[in-house]
Amino acid sequence: MEIKILDKNATTMRLMIRGADVTLVNALRRIMLAEVPSMAIDEVVIIDNSSILQDEIIAHRLGLTPLKTDLDSYNLPGECECKSEFGCSLCRVTITLNAEANEGTRTVYSGELVSENPEIVPVSDKIPLIKLAKGQKLKLEAYARLGKGKNHAKWQPVSMCAYKYLPKIEIASEKCTGCAKCVEICPKKVFAIKADMVEVRDLLACNLCMDCVEACPQKPSPIKVSWEKNAFIMNIESTGVLPPERIIQEATKILDKQLKEFEEQVKVEVK
Amino acid sequence: MIIPVRCFTCGKLIGDLWEEFARRVKTGENASDILDSLGVKRYCCRRMLLSNVEIIDEILRFYEEAEKRKESQNLY
Ligand SMILES: [Zn+2]
Ligand SMILES: [Zn+2]
Repeated sequence: MEIKILDKNATTMRLMIRGADVTLVNALRRIMLAEVPSMAIDEVVIIDNSSILQDEIIAHRLGLTPLKTDLDSYNLPGECECKSEFGCSLCRVTITLNAEANEGTRTVYSGELVSENPEIVPVSDKIPLIKLAKGQKLKLEAYARLGKGKNHAKWQPVSMCAYKYLPKIEIASEKCTGCAKCVEICPKKVFAIKADMVEVRDLLACNLCMDCVEACPQKPSPIKVSWEKNAFIMNIESTGVLPPERIIQEATKILDKQLKEFEEQVKVEVK
Repeated sequence: MIIPVRCFTCGKLIGDLWEEFARRVKTGENASDILDSLGVKRYCCRRMLLSNVEIIDEILRFYEEAEKRKESQNLY
């Protein structure tokens, strides 16, 4: 297997994977979506709420606020040694909010949330949580826990995780008249005209829609669009809770753990 | 009511982009260009910002008005 990072920044990563099977790439994709844990507010105790939004709406908004996650120092509630429903300092983070509008209408931002651990804070300080009119108050205590995307989408560390086959475009140059019909129709602007000939400008952008083949006035078309076997382009966009490279590493660890468990079970049963 | 924290469809965080988006739209900038510069690529996320109406501002007006009345009553 050969992996190449095509581009990467703080939240997104694009990988080219060669020599892997769909089953493996898809397993990793599904684990990233559903099983890589991340931190989110799970329980909210409203102490005072005189705002115009109901307690439930505020709790929902807090739950969806992505929190920076520290997977090394926190445990999943079910796997923590404390075995308590309420949680301990290794499986729960307390976050408080005490906001009041004294001068006039104001917006309360996620930056006003006070976390007991300065590492577990909202990804962005500028998320509007609620607007308070003069004299309105909001006071609450919230508990953030690790969780998995399969239990609630707020725990999904990725906002996009998808792969596609690596496209393969062949143009029979001796038959192409350079009419540029394919250049016009391609929604991804894959083609360009160079010296009265069609050439592939951006191969990776192709989404295999085949519009270019149909738009070509010549039948059969000199353009042949297909995909390479066992080569994929994987796109990961993190919500900011974890860096994308960490998410994919965690996914491989989880898959490995599941396979080991499976292997052990098989061994026990066969004996 | 108020800008949702995340995109309904994909879960991308968009709440923190609303204020800049609304401010720039008010100055007359093209909405599509703003979304591009904010890095909102997918149309599910783009519609979150494009179609949002801050109704909470309209409702808060009643409370602001009530507060004003309370204050004027205190004055006299
Ligand atoms: Zn614990
Ligand atoms: Zn979206």
